[in-house]
Amino acid sequence: MNCPHCKNPMIILELGDVETDYCTVCEGIWLDAGELELLIEDSTAKTELLSSFQLIQHIKEKNIKCPICNTKMEKIYVGKEDKVIIDECKHGHGIWFDKGEILKVIKMGSVNQQNDIINLLTEMYENKIYPTNKEEG
Amino acid sequence: MWEIIRANKRKSLALFIGMGTVLLLLGYLIGGYIFGQEGAPLGVIGAAGLWLILSVISYFSGSKIILGISKAKKISKEDHPRLFNVVEEMTIAAGLPEMPDIYIINEPAPNAFATGIKPENSAVAVTTGLLAMLNRDELQGVIAHELGHIKNRDVLLMTFAGVMLGSIIMISDIFVRGMFYSGHSTDRYRNRSSRENNPAQAVFLILAILFAVLSPVLAQILYFAISRKREYLADASAARFTRYPEGLASALEKLANNTYPLRTANRVTAAFYIVNPLHNKINDLTSTHPPIQERIRILRSMMHGAGFAEYQKAFNKIKRTKKRIIPNSVLSKDKNVSLKTQTGEHPTAGKMKVKRNLGDLMMTFNNYVFVPCACGLKIKVPPTYKNNRVKCPKCGRIHTLPDKRGKL
Amino acid sequence: MSAFAIFIVLILAIGLLLVSNYNSLVRLRNQVKNAWSQIDVQLKRRHDLIPNLIETVKGYMSHEKETLENITNARSQALKAGTVAEKAKAESMLSGALGRFNVVVENYPDLKANQNFLALQEELTSTENKISFARQNYNDQVLRYNNKIEMFPSNIIAGMFNFTKEEFFEIETAEEREVPKVDFK
Repeated sequence: MNCPHCKNPMIILELGDVETDYCTVCEGIWLDAGELELLIEDSTAKTELLSSFQLIQHIKEKNIKCPICNTKMEKIYVGKEDKVIIDECKHGHGIWFDKGEILKVIKMGSVNQQNDIINLLTEMYENKIYPTNKEEG
Repeated sequence: MWEIIRANKRKSLALFIGMGTVLLLLGYLIGGYIFGQEGAPLGVIGAAGLWLILSVISYFSGSKIILGISKAKKISKEDHPRLFNVVEEMTIAAGLPEMPDIYIINEPAPNAFATGIKPENSAVAVTTGLLAMLNRDELQGVIAHELGHIKNRDVLLMTFAGVMLGSIIMISDIFVRGMFYSGHSTDRYRNRSSRENNPAQAVFLILAILFAVLSPVLAQILYFAISRKREYLADASAARFTRYPEGLASALEKLANNTYPLRTANRVTAAFYIVNPLHNKINDLTSTHPPIQERIRILRSMMHGAGFAEYQKAFNKIKRTKKRIIPNSVLSKDKNVSLKTQTGEHPTAGKMKVKRNLGDLMMTFNNYVFVPCACGLKIKVPPTYKNNRVKCPKCGRIHTLPDKRGKL
Repeated sequence: MSAFAIFIVLILAIGLLLVSNYNSLVRLRNQVKNAWSQIDVQLKRRHDLIPNLIETVKGYMSHEKETLENITNARSQALKAGTVAEKAKAESMLSGALGRFNVVVENYPDLKANQNFLALQEELTSTENKISFARQNYNDQVLRYNNKIEMFPSNIIAGMFNFTKEEFFEIETAEEREVPKVDFK
C-alpha cells in the first residue's frame, strides 16, 4: 500500500496485536477498519472516543485519498477538548493519522497512560533518543 | 448424482440456446447490413466462429486465465493445513475423483470461487479475507458450496455461457463503435454496393443497430438466469455434503455484512464467486446471485435433515412457490441424511493472531522482507519499497535489506 | 426353422442378461472395496496421530491419566480389530474417548495455546470428519451392492458366483442419536 500523503510504499509495523502501515517519509500511520478499536483496551473509553468522532464540513487542511478505494476521505474531529483532525474513508476502509496524531488519539481513549502501545508510540513520536544511527543486520 | 447433472443441463440448455440465438441473430443482422441479404449467413458464421475460438481457448486455459486475473497463489498443505484439510474432507463428501488444487487470493474482501472444466483438473480459490473471517464449520460450508459447483458441472456451462456473453458484448461493442466513428463513410459503402437504395439494406441497418444495443442486455439477463439457478443447487449440495446447513448460512451472513468491494472481479467473472463481488444492487433480474438473505433463510429452515428433499421443501416454503429447483429424479433416489450438530470451534489462538499468520503467509508469497528489530519492533517491508535501507521508527537503528530485493 | 431361431435368440438374450448382471455385481463389489479403502486410509491416519497427541499433552495433563489411557486402550483395540463390525465398534470407542478428551482440554488454557497441539487437533478433527464422510459413501455403496444381491434376477447370479453381502460400517455416536437442534439466533 502507498502512503496517501506522499505516495511512497509504506512499511508494516506490528503494534501489539495490530499490523499498521507506516510511512517512512512523513511518519503517518494508516489503520484498517476496526484496528483502532483493537488498539484501545478500555471499553468505556473506547465508546466515548468513537462517539466523539465528528464530521467537519469545511476546512482548509489538504484532502487526501483512501489508499484502498482511492476516493476522497472525510475530515473528522476526534476528542472533546483537544481536538485532533484525522482522515477517515467514507466507505469505511480505514483511518489515516498524520505524524503523531495516533498517539494523541490513543491517549484520549486510554485511562491508563502507560500501556505498551502508548509507550511504543511515545518512543516513535516524542522521545526520539536515537542511538546515533547504528547499523545492523 | 448424475441425474442432477443431467437435469441441470436440460434446464440450462434452453437458456443457453437462447443466448446462442441472440448471438447468431446479432451476427445475421450485422452481416446482412455489411454484405447484403445474401451475405447475412457470413455474419452468422463470423459470430459463431468468434464464440468457438474463444471457447476453445477458455476450455484449455480458462482456469489459468481466471486464476491469473485474480492473482491467485497455489498453496500446499503446509501453507494452510486447515483449508487443505477442509477441501480434502469435502472432496470425500462430494465423492469427487480427485482433490481440486487450492489457491489463495490476497484480498481483504471475503470471497471464494471454483474453476475447472472437469472435476479432474478443477481448482478452488479463496481470499485471505475469507480465511480470516470464518470459523471451521463456516469454511467447510463455503468449500462445500464451491465443490458443489464442480460436482454439478456448473463450471463448464458457466464458462461457455460466459464466453458467449463476452462474444456478444464484444461484437455489439465493435459494431456500435464502428457505426459511431464512421457515421459518414457508411454512405460511401452503400453507394459502392450494387444494391444501392435497397430497402432491405435499410431494414438491416435499423435492426442491426437496435439489436446491437439490446443484445448485451438480453444476453446478460439469460446468463444471470443460468447462474442463479446454479447457486441454489450448489447451496443444496453444500448442505448435503456437510450435513450442517448452518455452517454455510452463517458464512453467508458474514459475507453479506462485509463492506469491502472485491478489486479483482468483473462482469463475467462475478458469476464464479460465492457471493456477488460487484454489489449489484439494481434489481433481481440482472443479478448473478439470488439475494443472499433468501439463501440464508432457506438453509436455516432445513430442520429435519440435510438431504436434497429437505432443501427443496425449505426452498418452496421461503420462496412461496411450487417451483422445482432440484429435479424429481434426484429427490426420489436421495435418502435423507441426518443433520450434524455443531462441532464447536476449536480453541484457536486469538482472532488477530490467525489473521496475522495468514497475512505473513501471503507476504512471504509476495516477497515481503521481515525485519525483526533488536528493540522488539517487527518491521515488514513490501517489495515495492525502493530504498535498500530502512530505519526502525522506534529506536532509529538502520537495517540493510537483503540484496535480492533489488531485482524485484 | 423359426422355432429354432426363437430358441437361439432366447439363449442369446439370457446369456446377455447373465453377463450384464455379473458385470454390474463385480462393479458394485469393486466400488464397495474402493469406498472401504478410503475409510481405511483415514483410520490408519488417526491411529498414527494418537501417540503423537499423547506425547504432546502428557506434560500438561498429568491429572488426566485416565482420559489418556482410555484413548491409548481404544487405539490398541482398534488396531487388533479384524472384521468391519469389530472395527466399527472399536472406532466408535476411540471417537468417544477423543470426544471426552476434547471436553477436558477446555480446562487447560496453556495447552490450547500450544502451536504443536493445535496443529495435531486440527489433524484429528479433520480425520474424524473424513472418516464420517467416507463412511457415508461406503454405506451407500454397500446398500446398493446388497440390494443387487437380493434382487431378481441378479440374486441367481450372485448365488452361482458366490457374491456375498457386505457389512455396513455403523458407528454409534451420541451426535447421531440426538434430535436435530434448531438454532433461532
